Amino acid sequence: MAEIKLRDITKKFGPNTALRGVDLTIEDGEFFVLLGQTGAGKTTTLRVIAGLERPDAGQVIIDGQDATAWNAAERDVALVLQQYSLYPRLTVRGNLEFPLKSRTQNFTADQIAERVSRVAETLQITPLLDRKVERLSGGEMQRVSIGRAIVREPRVFLMDEPLSALDANLRDVLRVELKKLHHDLGATFVFVTHDQVEAMSMGDKIGVLNKGKLVQVGTPDEIYTRPLNTFVARSVGTPPMNLIDGTITGNSAVLNAGGHALPLDNSIAAEGQPVRFGIRPEDVVIEANAPAKGRVFDVENHGVLKILAIDMDGALVHATVSAQMDVGIDDPIAFGWKPEKVLCFDPGTGHNLGLDRV
Amino acid sequence: MAQIEMRNVQKFFGPNQVLKDLNLTISNGEFVVMLGQSGGGKTTALRAIAGLETVSSGKILIDDVEVQGRKAADRDIAFVFQSFSLYPHMTVRENIAFPLRAVRMDAADRDRAIKEVAETLQIAQHLDRKPSALSGGDMQRVAIGRALVRHPQALLMDEPLGVLDAKLREQMRAEIKRLHIARGSTSVYVTHDQIEAMSLADRIVILHDGVLQQVGAPDEVYQHPTNLFVAKFVGSPVMNIAKVQIKGTEVMLPGTDGGFHFGEDLLAGMRHTGAAVSLGIRPEAVLLAHEKTDGFAPAVTTNIEPLGSHDIVDVRLGETILRARTQSGFVTGEGQSVWVSLDPARAHFFDNQTELNLRGAA
Repeated sequence: MAEIKLRDITKKFGPNTALRGVDLTIEDGEFFVLLGQTGAGKTTTLRVIAGLERPDAGQVIIDGQDATAWNAAERDVALVLQQYSLYPRLTVRGNLEFPLKSRTQNFTADQIAERVSRVAETLQITPLLDRKVERLSGGEMQRVSIGRAIVREPRVFLMDEPLSALDANLRDVLRVELKKLHHDLGATFVFVTHDQVEAMSMGDKIGVLNKGKLVQVGTPDEIYTRPLNTFVARSVGTPPMNLIDGTITGNSAVLNAGGHALPLDNSIAAEGQPVRFGIRPEDVVIEANAPAKGRVFDVENHGVLKILAIDMDGALVHATVSAQMDVGIDDPIAFGWKPEKVLCFDPGTGHNLGLDRV
Repeated sequence: MAQIEMRNVQKFFGPNQVLKDLNLTISNGEFVVMLGQSGGGKTTALRAIAGLETVSSGKILIDDVEVQGRKAADRDIAFVFQSFSLYPHMTVRENIAFPLRAVRMDAADRDRAIKEVAETLQIAQHLDRKPSALSGGDMQRVAIGRALVRHPQALLMDEPLGVLDAKLREQMRAEIKRLHIARGSTSVYVTHDQIEAMSLADRIVILHDGVLQQVGAPDEVYQHPTNLFVAKFVGSPVMNIAKVQIKGTEVMLPGTDGGFHFGEDLLAGMRHTGAAVSLGIRPEAVLLAHEKTDGFAPAVTTNIEPLGSHDIVDVRLGETILRARTQSGFVTGEGQSVWVSLDPARAHFFDNQTELNLRGAA
């Protein structure tokens, strides 16, 4: 159980600045996901929390105590990595016992046996306990890695892309298991990923990182429906949110590409102001008499639905439609949008103009 | 332009048989995707067509001519690898021109061919740069350009987008499909990614353990999988599978009192087989309701994955956990009581022994 605070953390690696003034509060017992592309600073943030990196400026506060100078062992955190890093010569049991047998711990043999069997049950690896690690599948190995982290009952779990090396079906299964584990343990989880599906489906809160800066922190729903800027808007959802440049005229959005006029619920920006309109693919509506016209550039059949890429005078607009829709490449097509779902961004700064009004 | 045919192709690596009696006809101008896990045989099949791998027995025909004895260079087929395999010391122009060295062509024709392919792939502005100065996507465009410049009869691609990041992969997918349409050349594409297969292919060929499992259009493979492997390999989240008992027209999940009612015609095909069966149902065919509804059974939610555009809701029904696809926010929390039904028209039944889809057989 622990609350983690980062205050104005800056971390440099030689000439490169990996983190730029990151301020962040992770509540006790929260499942917090750090989402970002390679190089955004998410792993560095995790390592700063773990005590594996010393920040150049700023403070790490754990449960109200300044932990900036503490080493990793003093922080009582457990780290799970993408690579399993298990001891191949040991059995599963041997790997799970290992953290409890360290000289700094004083566990009796009975206590160790009890903890190992409890963890094995939680992760459903009891039948594997006496197997050598090298004979396990990828998913089983990752479960053992997680088991080795939880057996110590640390205050905080830090996970760095633990599911990335697994195949898709196994990832689906372990996502659910990790959430359940979090629920059962009640511990603070910090989970790093570049995969927006993992972030949306697992996090109580998501922190979106871009180039060393924390752009937005919010619940999955807030991040999805009320993104602070175009970067956050496009970092969740597949396909990403459409961004279409245009201007506001009366209660309409007039799009630069093709000059089509689409309805707006209430105009957020001033008359005549250039705006970057944001609309998610599931909120684009295909209708015979819809105001915007284009040509089908691509159709992706995903079985449960189809994703259309519509070429509107050189700009591509993505739309999610029913799998039953009969549509072919190069077909002419008319489309509109759900006016209540349209977001307006500043074309220069990318800022969400709708958030300024309450 | 070419029709490619594989007849009774077998391939052994030492004692391991990696292709087991493979029969497949790829039509002229078709885009075929070979889909499977690693070790399934898909890359071996592709390399056998290209002539990069010999076959142990069987025939490979290109436009009705047997080619299994021919060298790769004599088959007029181009190959694109996952690793871009460009020459780092050559410019983009020289890389694209490389395959033309072997054919007699005057300088003007060669320049025209390079220009045409570079424009199609939108890399004309990079022609004088070295590959190391390019992004991953542009490098793969150059590799594709080098493959296409000779106007080969067929283009074979082995996981060409495998090393690119997710957003670039989505963009390149559409480009590769447009290119195929523009060129009209026969294309064979290997991937382990079912979304890539679904979105690119005219027809998908699914290989597992060296055995061809199913050949069909994306819709067909998704809606009528021939066996359990195909059913679980295509679609995300994976199809729900549960062992069931069929009593009359009721389908009973283990640990539940009541069953789901299925029409006589839907069950007729399999009852006489007397086999133990599993139900297969995709998350979008698992229907949820808040209120007690006719034909719905009580269940409890155990997990919710909010994905923004929709949610995946797990519900426990007796001993079974089913995943359902719902509107965003339809269920607000875990541990809630809901009512569940299954869409009989979209349900599948698999023989537990043979793993074959019994409705497909009926």
